[in-house]
Amino acid sequence: MPMTTTRKFLFSLVLLIGVLAFTDAHAGMESQDDSSPSAPTVINGKPAVSGEVATAPVPDPLYGWNKFWFTFNDVFYSRLMRPLAKGYVVIMPKKARTGLANIYNNFTFPIRFLNSLLQLNFVKASREFGRFFINSTFGMAGLMDLAKSDPNLQPGNEDFGQTLGHYGMTEGFYIVWPFLGPSNLRDTIGMAGDAAANPLTWIFGPWSAHDDYNPWYWSYIIKAGDTFNRLPETLDEYDAITKPAIEPYTAMKDAYIQYRRNAVAH
Amino acid sequence: MKIVSPRLCLAVVLLLSSVMPALAGQATQVLSASVDQVILLLANPAYKDTATRPELRKKVIKTIEAIFDTRELSRRALGAQWNNFSPDQQNRFVAAFGTLLQNTYLDKIESYTDEKVRYLSEDDLGGGKTEIATKVVGKDKEIPITYRLVDHDGWRVYDVIIEGVSLVQNYRSQFGQILMNESPDVLIAKISAKKS
Repeated sequence: MPMTTTRKFLFSLVLLIGVLAFTDAHAGMESQDDSSPSAPTVINGKPAVSGEVATAPVPDPLYGWNKFWFTFNDVFYSRLMRPLAKGYVVIMPKKARTGLANIYNNFTFPIRFLNSLLQLNFVKASREFGRFFINSTFGMAGLMDLAKSDPNLQPGNEDFGQTLGHYGMTEGFYIVWPFLGPSNLRDTIGMAGDAAANPLTWIFGPWSAHDDYNPWYWSYIIKAGDTFNRLPETLDEYDAITKPAIEPYTAMKDAYIQYRRNAVAH
Repeated sequence: MKIVSPRLCLAVVLLLSSVMPALAGQATQVLSASVDQVILLLANPAYKDTATRPELRKKVIKTIEAIFDTRELSRRALGAQWNNFSPDQQNRFVAAFGTLLQNTYLDKIESYTDEKVRYLSEDDLGGGKTEIATKVVGKDKEIPITYRLVDHDGWRVYDVIIEGVSLVQNYRSQFGQILMNESPDVLIAKISAKKS
């Protein structure tokens, strides 16, 4: 039963992408790289890193769609939601906001744990487990991130998109989703995988449609709540990229791509 | 067969072991000297005072200008397009981009209050370049920042990388995008307009 939902999601996703691929797209946006020859992967015996050489351009065949939703998200989050986020910071002390974020992060432990295992990174997996154990018990169901005080138990951030990248799947084209923000083909599939590993999906899945106690929409409400709770920090990061930018759309696209490439590599 | 005196050997080993660490951390020393100076200036209570601030701000800018290799940064931010700029355009671009970077950097560091900078490692990248990993540790956040320095005549920064995102690469993609449709002069005008 659970797989039907994911399969349906994946199918409609593939259909959507197929449709989008035919939409108006700026052909010129595909290759923005300077005319350097194909980037070497090794320099002086060390792996080439971003900034040193021109990184391979990521195709942007959905430029029309992306630019539209980038602008939409900018208006929604940066203009509409920003005053709300500012007010939220005023009424909710930092400790409370951090506590809520900690609870949610602790709750989504299976995502990071499973993906660390899938990547056969047992150090990371045991780190996630250690954090989960300490924070759930002594940290009062995740409210306090006590594990952080241990230098060996620092927070990790593995997800399914990184797992796919670990096993060689290329990132694919760049795509901006409404509300969800920048992503790429591989990471979008990753999102579906993360949803499958998120306990919320299992507790509040559509199979609970007839269950009065676990209505299906709570999963989305909680996720939206977590997004809002972290909005002040997210906006800071967004500003860090777009405020000093001459071309905010390209700045965001490039920052996302570099960030994910670095995440997959580490 | 000459027998090398063990005392001589010991002396050489001791000498080398005391000199090598200093050489290895040379770039870190240069960087930390500048960063510490900036932090010192920012921590000065006179900085908060709007009357004495401009004076101190000028000192901070001078320190930043000394440690950032603006020309190298600008050249890399344009990539292959650098050669399509006339010398005059190149100079104007370096000036405009340098001011933009200064203002951006100043905005960020002026919001710092009591953060400490930890220098984690220094890796030689070859070709007179090195990479220094630092961590800015604040009250409840830690930001890993990596600097890349080049030694033309003294170590200077030519790239800053945060969470894997290179500043040079980010601007290069933006400038490449703009230069596909606009001339170099338009780009320089856009950058100059941005700093205000």
